[in-house]
Amino acid sequence: MSPSPPARAVTFTVNGAPTTVTVEDRTLLSDALRQGAGLTGTHVGCEQGACGACTVIVDGLAVRSCLVLAVQADGTEVRTVEGVAHGAALHAVQESLHRRHGLQCGFCTPGIVMSLVAAREAGTGLDDALDEVLGGHLCRCTGYVNIRAAIVDAWQGAEGSEVAR
Amino acid sequence: MTWVGQRLPRLEDPRLLAGKGRYTDDIEVPGLLHAAIVRSPVPHGELRGVDTSEVDVPGAVVLGPAELAEVVVGRMPIVWHMPGDFQVDRPLVDGRVRFVGEPVAIVVAADRYAAEDAAERVYVEVDELPPVVDVRSALEPDAPLLYPGRSDNVMSRWETGDTAEHTDAVFAAADRTTSFRLDIGRVSGTPMEPRGIVAVPEPDGRLTVWTSSQAPHAVRDTLAAATGTPQHRIRVIAPDVGGGFGLKDHLYEDELMACVAAIRLGRPVKWVEDRYETLVATHQARGETVDVEVAYDLDGRLRGLRLRAYRDAGAYLAHFGGGPLFTMSGMVPGAYTWEAVRTEAAVVATNTTPTGSYRGFGQTQAVFVVERAVEVVARELGIDPVVLRAANMIGPDQQPYATRCQPVTYDNGDYGAALLEAQRLAQAWPEPPDDGRLRGVGYSSFVHMAGVGPSQGNPHVGLDVGSWESAIARMEPDGTVRLFVGTSPQGQGHATTFVQLAADRLGVDVADIELVHSDTDRSPYSAYGTAASRAIAVGGGAVVEATSALGDRIRRIAAEMLEAAPADIVLADRKATVAGTNVSLSIAEVARRAWQGWALPEGDEMPGLECRFAYDPKQYTFSYGTHVSRVAVDPATGVVEVERYAVVLDCGTLVNPTIVEGQVHGGVAQGLGAALLEEIVVDGDGQPRATTFLDYLLPVSASVPDIEVVLTETPSPFTPGGMKGMGEGGTNGSFACVVNAVAAALPAEAARDLVTPLTPSRVWHRLTGRS
Repeated sequence: MSPSPPARAVTFTVNGAPTTVTVEDRTLLSDALRQGAGLTGTHVGCEQGACGACTVIVDGLAVRSCLVLAVQADGTEVRTVEGVAHGAALHAVQESLHRRHGLQCGFCTPGIVMSLVAAREAGTGLDDALDEVLGGHLCRCTGYVNIRAAIVDAWQGAEGSEVAR
Repeated sequence: MTWVGQRLPRLEDPRLLAGKGRYTDDIEVPGLLHAAIVRSPVPHGELRGVDTSEVDVPGAVVLGPAELAEVVVGRMPIVWHMPGDFQVDRPLVDGRVRFVGEPVAIVVAADRYAAEDAAERVYVEVDELPPVVDVRSALEPDAPLLYPGRSDNVMSRWETGDTAEHTDAVFAAADRTTSFRLDIGRVSGTPMEPRGIVAVPEPDGRLTVWTSSQAPHAVRDTLAAATGTPQHRIRVIAPDVGGGFGLKDHLYEDELMACVAAIRLGRPVKWVEDRYETLVATHQARGETVDVEVAYDLDGRLRGLRLRAYRDAGAYLAHFGGGPLFTMSGMVPGAYTWEAVRTEAAVVATNTTPTGSYRGFGQTQAVFVVERAVEVVARELGIDPVVLRAANMIGPDQQPYATRCQPVTYDNGDYGAALLEAQRLAQAWPEPPDDGRLRGVGYSSFVHMAGVGPSQGNPHVGLDVGSWESAIARMEPDGTVRLFVGTSPQGQGHATTFVQLAADRLGVDVADIELVHSDTDRSPYSAYGTAASRAIAVGGGAVVEATSALGDRIRRIAAEMLEAAPADIVLADRKATVAGTNVSLSIAEVARRAWQGWALPEGDEMPGLECRFAYDPKQYTFSYGTHVSRVAVDPATGVVEVERYAVVLDCGTLVNPTIVEGQVHGGVAQGLGAALLEEIVVDGDGQPRATTFLDYLLPVSASVPDIEVVLTETPSPFTPGGMKGMGEGGTNGSFACVVNAVAAALPAEAARDLVTPLTPSRVWHRLTGRS
């Protein structure tokens, strides 16, 4: 009989709220967020680090939560798609994706939102957002055309626009 | 205002953007167990059973073939049969494995990690048999047979179009004939959300099933038959679905196993596919070899088209049987007049993953074949391929046009106008830089059979289900509306477009209407679900009729209340107004009267405010258009870049042009992916080689250029509302378009016989002539 995998408590801040989840050493951050913290907005698309759907922000950096162990996130500040909007008011990135029809099935969308939010906050330029940031995500529905249009909108509206936050 | 035609931002977006979508893997219920599937590690063999003696995970339960057979009393259906098909359904397990990844057992444990631990320790006992991994070797006289007792590996065989005699005569009379071979690579539709299912035995003995599906009623019907459960005891719900593209059009074996486990254990069970499983076990698509012969005259007249086409079925016939290749053979005439079109087709079993439905369903291949034929002939004649197309196209005055492949008769439209508009767009592109790369411009004109379809016609082509749709429109006492439909969205935006259709006919705001779908306890029956570019044309047609009838009823009741004639009542802005006056009632006041049930119009006294309409189309609808692209080919590496892309599309009435454009963009990307990047590779031993997104290359943002889309509107003369359906059209046009552009950059002989995808190595070998 295999020994029961050891359980371990991981404490971190998720969307501003102190959170403790009980995990195994091997538990992925994506699973800890989805099953442990009940935040199912983070989607798991490949578990290979290739598709980007599970992207969350850890201590200000966009990371693929399927490539991070939950125990590695102990003591960090994690942000997920559930923490991006202010109440009913969407973030500028979400608003642009909505206005430009930059999502269809919506499965890859949370990861793209998180990468773009991190890029905006890091002061990433428009060209890098279009090439490097979006280049790390797979979308099967949109052909990316309208996501790029949304990125242009979000970046160009960044200064002084009413949708910018 | 009129809602139809508005570029309304989607009503479903805010929820999805905020992470509040609810997909199958998000469903949690108390006491949920998690499953992993044990799959065959070998492509062919006699299945002896599973050895579970090494499984040491506390609480893990393994259901092997024997245990599964105790619950599964029925068979997996196949709903489309060609004459003479021997496989018309199949058992869940039949004592033999036929592809790597075939499910043979299910393991259930407290969480997915434990279930996978246990599954790794289940040993599949197989007496291996030699595999056949491609159609050519499967057709060898001494090939191993997948189905004992058969004389060969042919699953299905038929002929379509003209007779051999007529076709031979047309070929003999033509000035010239030419021939070439197309090997259409096998692909995986691979939606971003993998398949998944949650089966919940309820306290009242019913079974609730949440699943990522395009067709919840079809799932319910199969599940009921397979487990011997009455249909009314099963509720199937498709919550938010993260893409389908045809793959999710039926209940799969592994999904059935999860339901069996739930029934047997009396506990809720969740199984969610991982990406490896998507790429090896979810039905793949295409994998055809088509030998094409074309007869033409020296003046550029296209006369005859003759095909011999084989499709790799994989291990068994998928849910829609030989349907994709049959559809290819029926739609291969394309936008052109021919004197003869004939296809001899066969679907052949191999020890590979089954191939089934994928966006285009054979029509992508039909467009590919005919558009390659046009380009090959144009090149042989030294004629501009646009001129050759225009000279042979079906003219608007020839519509409705009966093709050589009956019962296909096109409806309306000016195919040539779309072609010339695409040419105009391409001619406006700036000249490419002189960077040493080779350029090619490729066109693809297509006619797309959508709005599937008239149920009465299905038995004549062997399709064993109805393809009508119904809608129920209910106005509540406060004037808000619930609209119940049988079709199920997976990203197409039905919660916006169907609501736009309804709002115009009820005089309410889109915010007043909720679409109810994808729940067999609540939504009306749909055997087909959302597939075949049919939702807006057939499901939308039902919505138009049901809401029109409801609007008429509201007018009659309002007329009674206002002492006016029903014909004079206008429904708009949430009011029922006597035309030309300011005398009005709020729609809510009318609705309240209907639900109070008193003083209703004479002859129309039934209380309540609900109308149902079942719409069975009289005819298919045919969207059409032309794609044009320009590619740059690096002669040193064979790498292809798609630099420019434009689409001219007519899909009838545009309910929401922004959503139509989005569907075009995504469809173009999928066709482009199949043309250049995506390839399911199986090695000579039958082992899959493309098992991650690092081996199976989906288009990324850099792969897809911006796409110019010009939309024209020729409403369908058949559909209520005039919509034609277009979800697959982007893919149908783009696969041929991108290949044609690459071919145009290659020397003529190098571009004759082609193998897709046109990977850098294939292109480089064509360019250099080295093998």
